[in-house]
Amino acid sequence: MLESSVTGQGGVTGIAADVRAGKTSAESVTLAALDQIAKHNGELNAFLEVPREGALAQARAIDAKRARGETLGSLAGVPVAIKDAICVRGVATTAASKILAGYEPPYDATVIERLRAADAIILGKTNMDEFAMGSSSENSAFGVTRNPWDRTRTPGGSSSGSAAAVAARMAPCSLGSDTGGSIRQPACLTGTVGLKPTYGRVSRFGLIAFASSLDQIGPFATDVRGAARVLSVLAGHDPRDATSLAVPTEDFEAACGRSVRGLRIGVPEEYFSEGLDPEVGESVRGAIRELEAEGCVVTPVTMPHTRFAVATYYVLATAEASSNLARFDGVRYGLRSRDGDAARDLRAMYGKTRDAGFGAEVKRRILLGTFVLSAGYYDAYYRKAQKVRTLIRRDFDRAFEGVDVICSPASPTPAFRLGEKVDDPLAMYLNDIYTLPASLAGVPAMSVPCAPTRAGLPVGLHVAARAMDEATMLAVASAWEARSPAASLVPPLVAPAKG
Amino acid sequence: MLGSRAMPGPKLDRALVLHVAKLASLSLSEGEADRFAGELARIVAYVEQLDAVDTADVAPTAHVLVERMPLRTDALVPCLSHEDALSQAPQVEGGGFAVPTFVE
Repeated sequence: MLESSVTGQGGVTGIAADVRAGKTSAESVTLAALDQIAKHNGELNAFLEVPREGALAQARAIDAKRARGETLGSLAGVPVAIKDAICVRGVATTAASKILAGYEPPYDATVIERLRAADAIILGKTNMDEFAMGSSSENSAFGVTRNPWDRTRTPGGSSSGSAAAVAARMAPCSLGSDTGGSIRQPACLTGTVGLKPTYGRVSRFGLIAFASSLDQIGPFATDVRGAARVLSVLAGHDPRDATSLAVPTEDFEAACGRSVRGLRIGVPEEYFSEGLDPEVGESVRGAIRELEAEGCVVTPVTMPHTRFAVATYYVLATAEASSNLARFDGVRYGLRSRDGDAARDLRAMYGKTRDAGFGAEVKRRILLGTFVLSAGYYDAYYRKAQKVRTLIRRDFDRAFEGVDVICSPASPTPAFRLGEKVDDPLAMYLNDIYTLPASLAGVPAMSVPCAPTRAGLPVGLHVAARAMDEATMLAVASAWEARSPAASLVPPLVAPAKG
Repeated sequence: MLGSRAMPGPKLDRALVLHVAKLASLSLSEGEADRFAGELARIVAYVEQLDAVDTADVAPTAHVLVERMPLRTDALVPCLSHEDALSQAPQVEGGGFAVPTFVE
């Protein structure tokens, strides 16, 4: 296998370097990715849609650009898988919901425009939990995605397919979205790198909204440097997203490989308590010890409002979702019910369209969100949760007075079996306990692989930094990666045959 | 004003679920409403732990990083064409989105 192939070790930066240098073509990289998808997607269901001819046409255009002597972008020839919550013009975009089956957006999301401008290849749309609500892909209307490390287990969620696609080397990188952990938790469970930027860093224009004060688009990649490069391409002010921050562009890749000597790592005692799988704890503590050997100073910190994060999140995110999902009513796009009185009466059309189009978890969250916003309950639930959110943010502000990054597990357990938690919504919500606080605080956070469990299941180290300080977060993650036994591991499914 | 127990602890039964569903334009069957009532009751009981947090004098967070988003100039910019806007419509009539009749 070529180094620069999707299944080689080069990753995003290796592929881009080889395409720019002419050592390989965008077309051959894309064909290798399509080949890997053809081999494994039937079993894994990572991709919902692979516009093969479109991807090859993009690749040929990049090869022609190079042949004309034009400068190629920083992601030249790099295939990128796209979570199905992100609009790609003319390509079915469903957010894994029946209510948007067959919907083809008439525009590209800002992040897609930025990827295209960097000469990346938009490879296909990946499976997810419906409307990003879930942690396993079991809420997708189009079937589950399987974890490439163990096909009886989930790859996590909600960016399930984006994580599985990178783990299975169908693409060297992908885009996901993270509202409460939907990039970091699946990255952790699939042994990939997954990053949620500072809130406002990456434009949400063209992301099908779940919770507007929490949603962020971010990259998955096979390595930290690859994730950093994709982030550099995605980030930047966008006047079409009113919550997009007007901050200067940054070269995040420059932070990778930077010395971490003297950096202070905070370890929150609240994240290492009951419910944490002992092997996960051992692996994460091992990574933190290695960073200490690298010159970091490790300090315990306390974040006393951590235990309220799940409750706070499920009030605020569901409230915002109930508002954002009101637009799916059968009028302008997507499913329209014509069943009985739905054909004659507008309100019946709304009600029946939404009942037919939304899955159970989505309905549950819309109901909860509507309830907490309704008259008589708004102050007690929604406003109260907004105040607890302030306290959770203050926990981070106080911790960051004494440390530069906060390290912890990304998930309390390794990948669980499909079917294990479907009957208990609350048990499923508790998977996000380590990722939710950073979302509520709006700070950047990422998961990077650390030593797997004895059964060979991936474990992730969660690294969070101050708002706008992705650079320090990436420096620490890449310093760990350089020493990590997990860095070059691939699932047995995709390991090249020896001989 | 609300007393020390701020959360009213509502009875999350079928009637309340059907009321909330109506607010959310969701036509639930009675079986669905019963099932959701049970699940939502558990979840609401769980979130009621927020009651125990002292938030006196704490401002709510609406946006994590800024007090107030800056405004843009009120200027016309290019946007989605009429044709593109209608391209995914289930039913189009007279250059607009056709819907069943309704009376206000």
